[in-house]
Amino acid sequence: MKNTLNNFLLVIAVISLLGVAITVFDSLGIDLFGKAFAQSKNISDEQLLARAINGEARGEPYEGQVAVGAVIINRTRDPNFPKTIAGVIYQPGAFTAVSDGQINVPIDPNSTVVKAARDALNGWDPTNGCLYYWNPETATSKWIWSRQIVTKIGKHYFGK
Amino acid sequence: MGKVREKLLDFKHRLQDRHMYSIVLVVIAAVSIWGIYQYRNAAKLRQELDNKYNRAFYDLTGYVNNVETLLIKSLVASTDSKTATTLQEVWRQANFAQTNLGQLPVSQNILARTSKFLTQVGDFAYSLNNYILSGNRITDEQYNTLEKLYEYAVNLNKGLEELNAQLSTGRIRWKELSEKGPGIFRRTSSEMPTQQFENVDKTFQEYPTLIYDGPFSDHMTKSEPKGLTGEDISAEEGKKKIIQMFGEDKVASVELTGENKSDTIKTFNYTIKFKDSPEDAQASLDLTQKGGHIFWMLYNRPVSEKKIDVDQAKKKGLEFLKQIGIENMKDTYYLSEDNTATINYAYQQDDVIVYPDLIKVKIALDNGEVVGIECKGYLSSHEKREIPEPKISMEEAKSKINPNIEIQSEGMAIIPTNYKTEVFCYEFKGKMKDKDVLVYINAETGQEQEILLIINTPDGILTM
Repeated sequence: MKNTLNNFLLVIAVISLLGVAITVFDSLGIDLFGKAFAQSKNISDEQLLARAINGEARGEPYEGQVAVGAVIINRTRDPNFPKTIAGVIYQPGAFTAVSDGQINVPIDPNSTVVKAARDALNGWDPTNGCLYYWNPETATSKWIWSRQIVTKIGKHYFGK
Repeated sequence: MGKVREKLLDFKHRLQDRHMYSIVLVVIAAVSIWGIYQYRNAAKLRQELDNKYNRAFYDLTGYVNNVETLLIKSLVASTDSKTATTLQEVWRQANFAQTNLGQLPVSQNILARTSKFLTQVGDFAYSLNNYILSGNRITDEQYNTLEKLYEYAVNLNKGLEELNAQLSTGRIRWKELSEKGPGIFRRTSSEMPTQQFENVDKTFQEYPTLIYDGPFSDHMTKSEPKGLTGEDISAEEGKKKIIQMFGEDKVASVELTGENKSDTIKTFNYTIKFKDSPEDAQASLDLTQKGGHIFWMLYNRPVSEKKIDVDQAKKKGLEFLKQIGIENMKDTYYLSEDNTATINYAYQQDDVIVYPDLIKVKIALDNGEVVGIECKGYLSSHEKREIPEPKISMEEAKSKINPNIEIQSEGMAIIPTNYKTEVFCYEFKGKMKDKDVLVYINAETGQEQEILLIINTPDGILTM
């Protein structure tokens, strides 16, 4: 009986020490998991769009990255959505990459997501005006399937 | 493995020592304090988020209330100037309401119709305000639309006020917060706001299609593409066309990857490999099914050095356009990034620049190759224009311009409005306070139609 209690205490102690350590490191600004947070002030539309593309479509073909950027821009021109790029990206619950903080991952200015963001801002739209996209394997919302599918690029369906 | 086990056993043994026991107790006490601290922190953050959502909601209610009041005022007003200023305020307040709506933690689809209503009320008010300021009187039809919009605003306001009462008495909570937080925050509240917001959105079930001169008017999505000429082609014919456009000596393979049948401009989607393509670079291209025009193309090839300048690139772009059968184009603006230049070309008819017929060509500055083209504007609006005789002369138009502007060049142009119509204008390029400006004077009414600011950046010339 006493042994079990001791075992239990031991496990608790180890776990909680880990917890304390993480909090301390975190509060000191030491990066434990390689997840550096860049400053987010004054990033332009291009940067913001590139980060959103990075969070949402990192492993996708180039065309698919431009397409995700185009969807965000198309939303700013649709009456059903906020009117600015920041407004669309930060609409609560709109993008998983925003909800889980991946949008804050710093990006290399020479990476393809920056080029994709520029092409999207310059008017290239592989989706021809789509407002939604989803990954058929991971989409949790049933509602999204009520959208009319326009095209499929990489892993994403694009729809209106 | 055995060693670890031994060590653990040894450690466990030592724990039984009374001295060790008290150390463990101290650790547990420390951990508990840490836990309480974390809990309080999380509670504070949750409260802050809750406050932010509440603020957005209360602001939304306030602005919608203002929209309602202002709409009835605009209906009551008897002088044009009073109607105009009231409508301007409707536009402003509806915009604020829409912005706050976008910050609520409610799925976009649940409040889609409400959002559309707020956008269109503001947009309609703004266009009506412009209509009055141009010296027109509100028509009966416009007055009726305004009346209808007012009724919707009244109902929306009612719905929001009910929700408001429930929220401020704490009877409902933000669903997102209760779902996302750690278990301890997950209070089982029987009433979540999704349902209530769905009911609010139902106010607009019978909402009519609204057509007016504004960018968010319902006619915007349904216009027929004028530049889409020619016979329907098959996917196989499309392949041949692409090889012909880029040259047999350059194209290695063209593969059909899909088809887009749901839009006004139906397309085939192809992937192209060029003979000199780097390993993983390829081009995507959409070709219209009617006429086999390029809709857009993007070639993701790294361009590592710059060997030609923008002027040479402009020529290369023109050559390519000629090669695919598009002539009488004039370059207007350009942007140069990542050793590529994106050049805008507009159609030119008898010295009149037709800006809506826009094609963007992206040129790689290492060898002048076309690495992107975008023809949506051109295909949507291009046709031979009936250009009328201007009703006012160049001199008359010039006299309408702010005398502080130093005019440098003048011309004629057809410019797009932001609701897909076209206006025939005199175009003046001038300088004021070291800024380059473009001023457009309507060639038929003499009104100052548009002012654009030209911004020279190291990357190119932009207009705003």
